[in-house]
Order: sequence, then structure tokens, then C-alpha cells
Amino acid sequence: MAVGVRIENLAKTFDRTIAINDVSLDIQPGELFFLLGPSGCGKTTLLRCVAGFCDPDRGSIHIGDHDITRLPPHKRDTGMVFQSYALWPHMTVKDNIAFGLQMRKMPRQEVADRVSGALDMVKMSDRADHNPNQLSGGQQQRVALARALVVHPQCLLLDEPLSNLDAKLRVEMRSEIRRICKQAGLTAIYVTHDQKEALSIADRLAVLHEGSVQQVGTPQEVYHSPVNTFTAGFIGETNLLKAEVLRRDTSGAWFSTPLGEVASKVSALDSLNAGDQVTLSIRPEAIRVSSPPESAPNAFNATIHDTVYLGEVAQHRVSVFNAIADSGETTLKAFDLNPRIVARDTAESTRVWIAPEDVVVLGE
Amino acid sequence: MRKSTAWTIFFFVLGLFSLLFLWPLTRVITGGFYVEGKVTLRYLLNVFRNPIYAEGMLHSLMLGVTTTSIALLISVPLAWLSHRFDFRGKKLLNGLLLVPMILPPFVGAIGFQQILGQYGVLNALLGLGPVDWLGRGRFLGVTILQALALYPILFLNVTAALANVDPAMAEAAENLGCPPLKRFFRITLPLIMPGLFAGGTIIFIWSFTELGTPLIMNYTRCTSVQVYDALREIGSNPFPYVLVFVMLTCSVMLYAATKLIFGKQAYAMQSKASIGYSARQLKGWRGAIVALPFIAVISLALMPHAGVVLTSFSVPGSWYKTVAPTMFTAGNYVDALGHGMTVTSIRNSLLFSSLAVLLNMGIGISIAFVVVRSKIRARALLDALAMIPLAVPGLVMAFGYLSISSLLSNLSWARENPVWQSWFDVRTNPTLFLVIAYAVRRLPYMVRSAAAGLQQTSVVLEESAANLGASPLTTARRITLPLITANLIAGTLLAFAFSMLEVSDSLMLAQRADFYPITKTIYELFQLIGTGRYVASALGVWAMFFLAVTIIGSSLILGKKLGAIFRM
Repeated sequence: MAVGVRIENLAKTFDRTIAINDVSLDIQPGELFFLLGPSGCGKTTLLRCVAGFCDPDRGSIHIGDHDITRLPPHKRDTGMVFQSYALWPHMTVKDNIAFGLQMRKMPRQEVADRVSGALDMVKMSDRADHNPNQLSGGQQQRVALARALVVHPQCLLLDEPLSNLDAKLRVEMRSEIRRICKQAGLTAIYVTHDQKEALSIADRLAVLHEGSVQQVGTPQEVYHSPVNTFTAGFIGETNLLKAEVLRRDTSGAWFSTPLGEVASKVSALDSLNAGDQVTLSIRPEAIRVSSPPESAPNAFNATIHDTVYLGEVAQHRVSVFNAIADSGETTLKAFDLNPRIVARDTAESTRVWIAPEDVVVLGE
Repeated sequence: MRKSTAWTIFFFVLGLFSLLFLWPLTRVITGGFYVEGKVTLRYLLNVFRNPIYAEGMLHSLMLGVTTTSIALLISVPLAWLSHRFDFRGKKLLNGLLLVPMILPPFVGAIGFQQILGQYGVLNALLGLGPVDWLGRGRFLGVTILQALALYPILFLNVTAALANVDPAMAEAAENLGCPPLKRFFRITLPLIMPGLFAGGTIIFIWSFTELGTPLIMNYTRCTSVQVYDALREIGSNPFPYVLVFVMLTCSVMLYAATKLIFGKQAYAMQSKASIGYSARQLKGWRGAIVALPFIAVISLALMPHAGVVLTSFSVPGSWYKTVAPTMFTAGNYVDALGHGMTVTSIRNSLLFSSLAVLLNMGIGISIAFVVVRSKIRARALLDALAMIPLAVPGLVMAFGYLSISSLLSNLSWARENPVWQSWFDVRTNPTLFLVIAYAVRRLPYMVRSAAAGLQQTSVVLEESAANLGASPLTTARRITLPLITANLIAGTLLAFAFSMLEVSDSLMLAQRADFYPITKTIYELFQLIGTGRYVASALGVWAMFFLAVTIIGSSLILGKKLGAIFRM
């Protein structure tokens, strides 16, 4: 039965740099949980604390009901997939996978059975007797995964497992990893800086910045309702606007922004009062570059400056001129999905509009 | 690098190498099999049938095996401790561990005898009678002395190998439930095997064929001393040839086996460390406990040095059956400088070593360029050739040069040109052959240093110079050479230092007192009754000081990369 992982008030400092600053996380049994953040945010340190390769200064880590904070790594029963795979070059694929079972003093026959089961699971049965350096990057990845899985760890730890693969393989392997984790019913913690990886396969994710957790939630929650400017800026692209609350009622809130008046209809606006200074986040794909429907709110006159055409999307840079507040031009990123018309030449006038459901209010 | 340039250098170096290295080697090999115009295996077989020769070979083999084992037992645990833990004074201790290298073991033997000899310090200290601590037949004494002088080479190799292993390799095992000791034997040890064998092979070949230490310790029943004693009959007696051939075969076979087994699977190098590794901090008494074995080994290994230093300052005859000399003097140093032989020997050593290093730099840098920067297939052959001198014992080469010397000086052409003859004949002037011998034996250090520098220097830096209009020669002079200066200095220093204190070539090739290098002079002085041993020690201390400065210098320049020099 899968068990959860509970991290409480964990802190770690290296030579005066704070790597982890009071992190608490509650990871559910069977959950595929992501630690997402830029390099140096402390996510790998956090994972290594769970594995036991790094001693926290404060706080505790529980796997299930067991406090493992001070346990040496080889007694923790976690299965880790290393960024470099760390396959032992002096052992065959089979021996690599069997190693953890041998450490658990399993009978020979059971070792053989479980190794072949694990090889099947990662679709590597035909490579059992190869040496790791005869395998491609993707195959090495699978073996590393099998080696960690075969011991049926309480918790699977993945440290940027796909960062050494090419783009296409990465996409393929990430759904493979999710399939395998779910098939085995494992609790897994997955460290990455790649937001697409996290959004695509995570059950839930924690965004880390400078050693602190910024936000925890499902991919949809974190993407659509970022709580602060860091999360909004780190996950996906966004337009941030300084704004002042004008008024609020049950149907939504209205703001004064450099664009003009902007309406928002996202939930959780209750704490806002007129006159509050806030930041609004508007995703580029929420800004529609076309004629708005009749009487739509958040519609503005704009000029398209330039366009990057990427096939499935056209990325425009548009300027909105606010005649009323005379705050000058504001440049926005606007993504047109499935673009029909691509303006390549300069300064084309157009209208842009934003659905009030897509205007997110950030705490700071 | 242009293909034509690469091939030109290749053939030039190959030619030079054949002349200076392969030719004397061939002489050694054929000398025992082609006698009086007939090919014969008689001498080879007789060597094994002759009880004295057979015993000598067995002893030599045992010397090599025992010395290497002791060195392994010393250096592997120390290297592992040093890799895994951080403790107070670690840097200093790691540095001190290398200090024994500053003295050739045969000089240390003088001090060693003062301390462990029958009338030495230990017996005086314990108030015992003339107990023989060096073991019957002095076998134990020779091996311990050699192991204590040679283990630094292995320590450097193992440390470098450990540093090269991706720390995630051991962590992965730990993560899967492997306890520390098991982890060392199942993961770490197999991964550092190549480094272990590389260092071990060098030490084995060195101690298996060592000449100076057995000579001074009076352990005469081993092959190297038997060869040395038979030198006078080099023209007429095929036996020394066969003995040398057997030594060569053993050494080369071991070297080749190591290359064959570990050459292809340079495990440690293939995966770059993905995570920063930091050794575990040990504070207080834990750190002190880990430091203890370091201190023990260092004190043991520096015992011969201390003995030599004390001897050099003691009044002749005043250190006998006592813990320390009863009377001190600086007179031995005055005598050492006053002695005609010592002053010339210092001058000779400086001259021979400088010339050898110059020759080395030319050949070594060219080889490194071709090996690292060209794409010609044959570069692998060149690389292998340049490393072979590591596998060939100094004794064998010295013997080969002696044989060439007697061949050349007896040519009728040489007889008619006395000037040439005197250069060819080591009995009149060994300069030519000593310089060649010094250079060839140290070539691997030079090539390794230069190649390491070139590998670290991105080829793009050269390409951009070429792109801006610099010719290949200008690029080498203005861009590449300045960038690898540090490596070149380190390689040069090492080659120079090891040439200065070279033993077997010096003992065998220098046969006239006015051409003696330092080491031969120390040996000859040591044999003088009376003050000889004291003056020899004074000269030894001078050599120690000199080598210490060069090694510290090169380790400061190279830092951790010093270990790379001693790799094959």
C-alpha cells in the first residue's frame, strides 16, 4: 500500500546561502508530486534531504508514519532516479537492476523474477545483458527507472530524470514515467525546472523560489490562479499590470490599469477593497487579437508591432494606448492560437480584448 | 592540424623513437638469443636452470609483489579516507603524504639503517642487543623501504580515480540499501580499478627492477644486482642479456595486461559528475581519529629522511648504538662541497638533466599536439609508444644503451675518429647516452602534461586565431603554448627532478668519476670507509631539498591534477 510523505518546517543552509527555508509539504499516498523551480531554488536539495544525502538543519521528514529525518540513506527505502542515471558501468543492465534486491537479501529466484518483471515494465527485456554504455540515453533512463522501481520503494524520487534527453524523447518518456508510476501505485517526488514536464504529468506541484514554497496545487490551479508574481512569471508567460482597485461587487472587481479600466471575474476577490494596490496577471493567450463581441468589457484599441510565427501559434507584441489616463503606451504579449492571419508588416491597428475570467489578481 | 603536418611529426618522432628507444631495446632482446652468429634458446633455459639466477628472479618477483602489496595497503585506505571525509589539517596531511617522493629510496636506505640497523636507534631506545629488525636477508627491509618511498604514486592515482567517479554512483547504491563497506567493495573499488592498476603497475615495475636500494641494503641475491655485477662482461657474457630480457618481458606483460583489461573501459571518465560532491565534515575527536593513520604513515615514511638528515649533521662515528648522534657538526656539508667528486657531480647532474629536459620538451610537445589535435588514425599508436617507457624498467634501458655504446665505439669508422669514439663510449664520456636515457624514461610525464593541457584548452581558441589570419605556427606560439604553460612547467619540473635523482641509468652508464651524476656519487661515497656515509648523507640532504622545491612547485601549479602525471 502506498504511503504519503510529510515534510515539516525543513531548513538547510550551505555556507550562509539558504538552500531550503522552512518548507512544509504534505504529499499524498500514490501521488505524483512535482517540485518545480528555477536552478538554485533548492528543489534538488529538498529531494536529496528526502533521500538522506543531505542533512537538514531543522525540521522533519516522515514517510508514512516513520520519522526518517536522521536515518542513513541506505535504510530509508526510497528509490532514486539520478539526473546522470548513475548506472554502474561495471555491471550489466540485469545486475544493475538486481542490486537493490540483493541488498534486501531476497532469494535468487525472486530476484530473477522481479528483475524480468521490471525489465518488462520499462520495455527493456531484450537488453538485459547489455552494458549500460551500450545503451542510448533513453534506454539508460528506462534502466535507471527500473532499478529504482524494482525494490518497490516507499517513495520514488526523480531528480531531473529527463534533462539529458533530446526534446522528442523527453515528451515520450514523461508520459511513460507517469504510466509506470500509476501502474505501480507509487508515491513519487519529481524534481524539474521544466514547467511543461510538471504541467503535463503532475498530480500536484509545488513551485519553489529561493528555498521557499511559493504555491502548491494542481497544474490547472497553479497555471490559472497563480498567487504571486513569481509563480505567474515562472510558469508560462504572462503580462503583469500594476493596478488599483476601483470597485467590487458580487459579480467581480474593476481596476484602474495602464490599459484603462479592466474587469476581473475570477473568484477569491473577497479580500479586495477599493483603493488597494495589486498586480494583475493576464496570460498572453488570453489576449485575443480580433474584434470583440458587442459590449464586451476589457476591449482596447491596439497596434501590432511585430509577430513571431511558430506554426501553431503566432506571438504578437501589441501596444495599447490609454487615452483617458494618458499613461502612454503599454506593450503586451498576445498569443494567437491556430493563427489564420499573420501580420508581418509594421504597425497594424487592431482591437484586443480579454475575458474577465482570465484576469488574475496577484497578492503582490 | 593539417594532415600533412601531423604525418610529418609522426614519422619524425617515430624515427627518433626507434633510434633512441626501440634500437637499444632490440639489442637487449637479441643479445641473449643471437650469440656467435647462431639463434639459441640455450641461455634463456640455462638462466632458469642456474640456481643462483633462478633464485634471483624469484627474489626480484617477490620484492615487486610485496612492495606493491604494502603500497596498496597503505595508499588505498588513506585515499579513501581523504576522499570521503573533511577534517582539520587534511590538506597539510595530504601534502605531507607526498613528501617521501623527494628522496630516492636508495638514499633513504642510509638513514633507514641508522634507525633500524643492529646498532641503530630502535635498539638503543629499547635497550635491546643487536636485534635484526630488517629481517633475515634484508628482504623485509628492502620492501618496506621501497613501499614507503613509492606509495605516493599510488596514492595520487587512487585519489584521482576516486575524484573521477560520479558521486551519484555510490549514492545510487546507498539509496538502494547498500551499507558503506559493501558499497566500497561492490561499487567504488571496481570503478577505481583502472587507477589502482595504473599506479600499481608503475610501482611493481619500479620495485621489481630497482637497483639502488638492494645494493645499499646489501641484498645481492636479486636479478637487478646480478645484472649490475655482470656488467663488466657485457661484451662476452649473454647471461645478463637474458636476465634483462626476462625482466623486460614480465614488466611489459603486466603493463599490456593492465592496458588490455582496463584500457577500453575507462569507467570513471565516461559520466561526468552530475552533482557537486562534498566530503563529510568530521569535527573534534572524530576528525582526529581519521587523521591518525595519516600521521602514522607520514612518520614512518619520513623516518629514513630523518635518519639521512641526522646522519648528515653528525660527527663521523658519533652515532653508534645511541638514540641520537652524540656530536653534531656541519662539517660533512663542508666536506661535501670540498670533495672534488661532489661538486662535479652536481654540475654533471644539472647539465645532463637540463639537456634531457630540452630534448623531452621538443619531442613531448610534438607528440601531444599530434595525439590531441590531429585526426590521423596513427595518433593512437604514437600515444601508446610514448607511454611505453613507463613499462620498460630503467635497468633494461641502461643495459640497452651500454650495449649500443659498445657496438658503436667498436665500429671501424669510430675507431678512426677518436672524437666520435669518445662520445660513443660511455667509459670515456657518458654524456650522450645519459642525456638520451634520462629523456626517454621521462618522456611519458612530458607527453601527459602537455596532452592534459591541450585537452583542457578548447580547440575553438585556436580556430578563432586561424580565422583571424594566424598561421598554424603563429597560433601555436601565440595562443596554444601560452595557454598550456602551467602544464608544461609542471611536466618540465617533474621530468627535471626525476632526472636529477635517476638511479639505474646513472649507476650503470656513468663509469668515470669526472662524469658521475649525483646519485652515482652518493653511492660511491657511501661505500667509502670512514666519513663516506656522512658526506653521502649531506649530499642526499641537498638532493632532498632540491627535489622538495621542484615537487612543491609543480603541485602548486597543477593542484589536484598532479595525479594525472603518474597515470598511464
